[in-house]
Amino acid sequence: MNVSDAAVRVRGLVKTHGRGQSRVRAVDEVDLEVPRGQTLAVMGPSGCGKSTLLHLLGGLERPTGGEVWVAGRRIDTLSERALARMRRRSVGFVFQAFHLVEELSAAENVELPALLAGRSRRQARRRANLLLERVGLAARARHLPSQLSGGQRQRVAVARALANDPLVVLADEPTGNLDTTASLDMLRIFEDLRAAGQTLIIVTHDERVAATADRLVSMRDGMFVDDTRLAGTGAGRLGGLIGLEG
Amino acid sequence: MGPTVLVVRLALADMRRHKIQAAMLLLAVTVATATMTLGLSLRGVNDALYEQTRAATAGPDLVALSGETGPAATSALASLADDPEVTAHHGPYRIVYADLTTRDSTSSPVVVHGFAETPGALNRPLVTSGHWVRPGGTVLERGFATALGAGVGDHVTIAGRSYPVVGIAVTAATSIYPWAAQIGPYGGPSDYTGLAWMTRADARALASSRDLPVTTALDLKLRDPDATGAFIDAHRASTLRMNLRSWQSTAEQDMVILRNTQPILVIGSWLLGFLAVTGVAALAAGRAVEQTRRAGLLKAVGATPGLIATVLLTEYLALALIGDALGLVIARLTVPAAASPTASRIGAAGLTGPTVAAATVLAVAVAVLSTLRPTLRAMRTATVTALTTTAHQPRHRPRLTALSALLPTPLLLGLRLTARRPGRAVLQACSTATTVTAIVALLTLHAQPERGYGLDGSSVLPNLRGEHDRGLMLAVTALLIALAVVNTLTFTWTTAMEARANMAIARTLGATPGQITAGLSLAQLLPALLGAAIGTPLGAGLLSLLAAPNAVEPPSSRLLAAALATVLATAALTALPARLAARVPVAQTLSAETA
Repeated sequence: MNVSDAAVRVRGLVKTHGRGQSRVRAVDEVDLEVPRGQTLAVMGPSGCGKSTLLHLLGGLERPTGGEVWVAGRRIDTLSERALARMRRRSVGFVFQAFHLVEELSAAENVELPALLAGRSRRQARRRANLLLERVGLAARARHLPSQLSGGQRQRVAVARALANDPLVVLADEPTGNLDTTASLDMLRIFEDLRAAGQTLIIVTHDERVAATADRLVSMRDGMFVDDTRLAGTGAGRLGGLIGLEG
Repeated sequence: MGPTVLVVRLALADMRRHKIQAAMLLLAVTVATATMTLGLSLRGVNDALYEQTRAATAGPDLVALSGETGPAATSALASLADDPEVTAHHGPYRIVYADLTTRDSTSSPVVVHGFAETPGALNRPLVTSGHWVRPGGTVLERGFATALGAGVGDHVTIAGRSYPVVGIAVTAATSIYPWAAQIGPYGGPSDYTGLAWMTRADARALASSRDLPVTTALDLKLRDPDATGAFIDAHRASTLRMNLRSWQSTAEQDMVILRNTQPILVIGSWLLGFLAVTGVAALAAGRAVEQTRRAGLLKAVGATPGLIATVLLTEYLALALIGDALGLVIARLTVPAAASPTASRIGAAGLTGPTVAAATVLAVAVAVLSTLRPTLRAMRTATVTALTTTAHQPRHRPRLTALSALLPTPLLLGLRLTARRPGRAVLQACSTATTVTAIVALLTLHAQPERGYGLDGSSVLPNLRGEHDRGLMLAVTALLIALAVVNTLTFTWTTAMEARANMAIARTLGATPGQITAGLSLAQLLPALLGAAIGTPLGAGLLSLLAAPNAVEPPSSRLLAAALATVLATAALTALPARLAARVPVAQTLSAETA
């Protein structure tokens, strides 16, 4: 696969924490290519380096070694400023803890990335309303995060991640703080995104979430120990999971 | 372990963990109390120095001055000496009005008192160096000699004749330099004048050689030194052509040199106290969550609300009282220079009980006002709530959010950060307004026209009162600026720390470190701009209440430049903490928030 065909590509990626004897290789010589439109699930035990990998892919942390390419551009050598611009254009984040701005309403949270990208307020608001409708929260647009349930907050976070129509959405344990019903809502949203051709990389402990992916990578001690192409369509598997099938 | 030991140990542990906050409170209280103590001590020290000089020089209770000479004037003066209330007198003696020039051509008006070679029982100037008058030599009053830069052995020219300076002395019979003349030639107004003594014969020869104006003076000692007013009233009819100066009016005249000093120091101490409260309150607010959790922990192990309050207040009160003690020591050491800008008085003066008490009240007020809110919050919050308390939840401000959405990213972030903590923005604005007020006062003082103490108002001898005022105003302004600098750094860092999660989110959404830095700076700069805009007219208004009616205002361009410079300095000061805060790794911040 050509570098420019891949949404994300990493080669020999290494990230170490600490010094001397307490030095830990959180990510250890990882190679990965995620084609555009693919949904990749990354699973593994706590502390295996999943979240660190996601941070490296999104340019939130700098690797100790190796290369990271996003949208055909090498990002591990970029300045902080250039990384920020790259994130605006190409990356959307969804976190386990939602990380919404508490004093802003749902719509104001969703329009924030567009405003940071220099779009007009009208454009940003129109896009925010569209996305909130897409995640089923049009009626909650004026609510503050504190007035929303956990599942609703995570849906706002997904809408915010999509605000600038990014090439790839990076989700870190998106259902980790959600109850069963909210988790299933989230699975439906991810399935919709997958069907729409959105590249998704999801770090998760939740096998139901992993089952919706096109591909599953397992991590242990900072390394990939398994890389599996999943058969069938996500919709069918999800339908089976939530009891929608015949 | 007794409750007292427990309180002390907890307070000490907290101080050790927050050294910068402790140092800041100490510094703020020290400068505020030192300044206030100085301001409140001036009157007492001035009076004390006069009293000591009066005792050491057998100062008269009254000095009678007549602009006329001849037998009639002498007779009128002599009749005063016959009053039964008068127990002793000195004179009559001549006061000759002349010009004095030093070897380096510094010229000044001078009054020459013709005295006996052996001083009498009343009005005995105290020789501080050299010796008393002898034929052909002159003794210079110490404040005058210091201003001239003259000493024993130098030669000065008085009315065209050269005299060696044989001694330096002080007296309580006249006011301090430059108000030695008391009345001008022929009973008219006097100019800034120094004092010199000669023998009676030399003074007579000096007056007659150039036909110089002469005043005749008589020093009186009364049976009751406090009854000078009654004595003057009793002789009002017979003293129409005479001027009677009581020792009280001489002491009062001494205070003229400090007329502006007191408001500069006292108002300065209020402003310093205010800045101290704002700075420490901002730090305390930044620690509110931690303090509340700590209080919850203490409550959980059985501490009463009273003990919680005692622990929190003990720490601040202890620091405030140490700062108070330091401030009092500094004031004690500097009060002679602040209260006696001339060298015309001798003696030493300490601080009075009421002054020490007032400074201590200020220190305690700073401590209590700074910590009242977090202390009450910690006391009132239920234990479980306190243990799980989270950071302050800002209010939703839809209009401001909508407005900021129209602005470039740094302004958008800055405005929203400002709106998160409007109280802190008000404090930042007040802090800037206070600083600008002081700068406006300093500029206004420098804009005032001033007569020098030299001949015909020449500034070859500088106006000591103006110099003293400007020096103190500069010191107070420098202290205010120092505290404002600390406050600005504190405000920026506290804002950055409180908003670190939101800033990290903004980074994940594509905000650059530069935009975050600019946003954090602007969050301080917007209120600073408002503060500068308020401070300029506030400073001018405050001065108009205190200044003389004919006071000159500084050029508007200079005031504008000062306000602008303050805002630019604020921008520069906020840049470093904002930049440091913007560089904190995003993943680390978000992980910490999740935990």
